[in-house]
Amino acid sequence: MGYDYIRPASLEQALSLAAQGESALIAGGTDLLVALHKKKRPAPGRLISIRSLPELAGIRDEGARLRIGAAVPLADLLAHPAQARLPALAKALGVMGSRQIRNVATLGGTLCNASPGADAAPPLLALGAGVELAGPAGRRTLDLAEFFRGPGRTALQPGEIMTAVLVPWPGAGTQSHFLRRSRVAMDIATVSLAACFGLTNNRLSGVRLAAGAVAPVPLRLRATETFLEGKALTDETLAEAAKLARADVAPISDLRGTAWYRRELVGVFLARALRAGNGGKP
Amino acid sequence: MKTTLHLKLNGRDAALEVAPHARLLDVLRDVAGLTGAKEGCGEGECGACTVLVDGRAVNSCLFPALEAEGRSVVTIEGLAGAQGGLSSLQQAFVQEGGAQCGFCTPGMVMSAAALLSANRDPSDDEIRDALVGNLCRCTGYAQIVASIRAAAGKAGAP
Repeated sequence: MGYDYIRPASLEQALSLAAQGESALIAGGTDLLVALHKKKRPAPGRLISIRSLPELAGIRDEGARLRIGAAVPLADLLAHPAQARLPALAKALGVMGSRQIRNVATLGGTLCNASPGADAAPPLLALGAGVELAGPAGRRTLDLAEFFRGPGRTALQPGEIMTAVLVPWPGAGTQSHFLRRSRVAMDIATVSLAACFGLTNNRLSGVRLAAGAVAPVPLRLRATETFLEGKALTDETLAEAAKLARADVAPISDLRGTAWYRRELVGVFLARALRAGNGGKP
Repeated sequence: MKTTLHLKLNGRDAALEVAPHARLLDVLRDVAGLTGAKEGCGEGECGACTVLVDGRAVNSCLFPALEAEGRSVVTIEGLAGAQGGLSSLQQAFVQEGGAQCGFCTPGMVMSAAALLSANRDPSDDEIRDALVGNLCRCTGYAQIVASIRAAAGKAGAP
C-alpha cells in the first residue's frame, strides 16, 4: 500500500486529477478500502476523494424529479423527507449495512461499485432513475438500466465521475414495493425485487420491475413488465408473470443460494409485490 | 511523507502527523495513544472500532484519517466526564453487566451514545437496530440492550 490520498476542493479539480490516470476515485470507501486492505485489488498510485465535493452533495426537489448528489451518504437520504414518497427505496436503504456503514457509504458509491446484489439498485431501476456523469467531454445522463455492464463494471468512461442520481417522482396512484431475502442482518441479498405499478379497478398500469442478485447486473424484468401491462390482477396473471420473471433472470449458485432457489424466489417476490398492491401481505 | 491532520479530538484541538493513506483507527491508537477503539475485523463488520465523527457513528477502520480534517472525533476516552469519571451510559454498562470480555464494549458504547443523542427514549427494537453493526463474541447482547435501556431514562446520558 502506501498510496497518496488527495482531497480536491471542486469537481473541476477532481476531473483534472482523474484524467491523469493511475488513480482511483473514493467516496465513502466502505467497499474500496476493504478491498485495498485485504489486497483484493492492487493499490492505485493515489486515491482521489470525492466525498466532500460540493457538486456531489445535497438532495434537491427539482419539481418532476429528485436530484440526489452522488456523494450523499445513505443515512442522509434515509433521513430526508423525500423518502416518504419513495418507500421502496427507503426500505432498501434501511437494510444496507449498519448505521456506521450508512453514515459514510454513498448512493453513488454503491451504484458505481456495481455489485449485482446492490440493494439500492432494484428500487432505483423500478423508479426509472437516471445517473448524471461528468467527464473530460462534459456531462451526460444515462438511464440507470444502461449504466450497469457486469459485476463491478459500469458505463463510466476513464476520467468520468458520477455526480448525481436522478429519480423521477412516481405519478399519483403509483405504488412501489421492495422485497429482499438474506440470511442474517448486514448480509448481502440472496434475491431482491422492486416493483412500481398502478392498480385501478384491478388493472395494472405503468409496471416497472427490477431484481437484484439474480444476474450479472441488477436488471429490469422487461418481458414480465410487457406481459403485465394492462392485465387484470388474477391468480392466472400472477402465475404466468412469475414464469416469465424466472425466465428474465440468469442467477448463479453460490454460498447464499442456488440458482434454482433464486429463480423460485423471483417468482414468489413478484407475486407478493403485486398482491401487496391489492392490500395482500407483501 | 506525512501530512498534518487538524481535528477536534475528544473536545480538544489536535494536530497529528499522519501518512496520507492512514486509517483513522491507526491514527487514534498509534499516534494519539487512544487505544479504546479496537480493531476486530478491519472491514466494517464488527464495530469494535466505532467512534463518532461529527456526532455520527463510523467504523474508524474504514475511515481515512485525512477525512477527519476539521471535524470533531469522539472516542470512548472522550465520553468520561471532566473529572475523569464514567458517563452515565458507561456507568449503566457497569451496573447491568453490559461487558464480558470487554473487547467490543468501546464500540458498543459509542454506537449507543450516537443512538441516545438522536433518540432519548429508544425502544428495545430501536436499540437492537442501532447495534446491528456491533458484534459481541461473548454474545452478551441481552445485558448490552439492558444497559442502554437503563441509561436512556437517566439525565445526562450519554
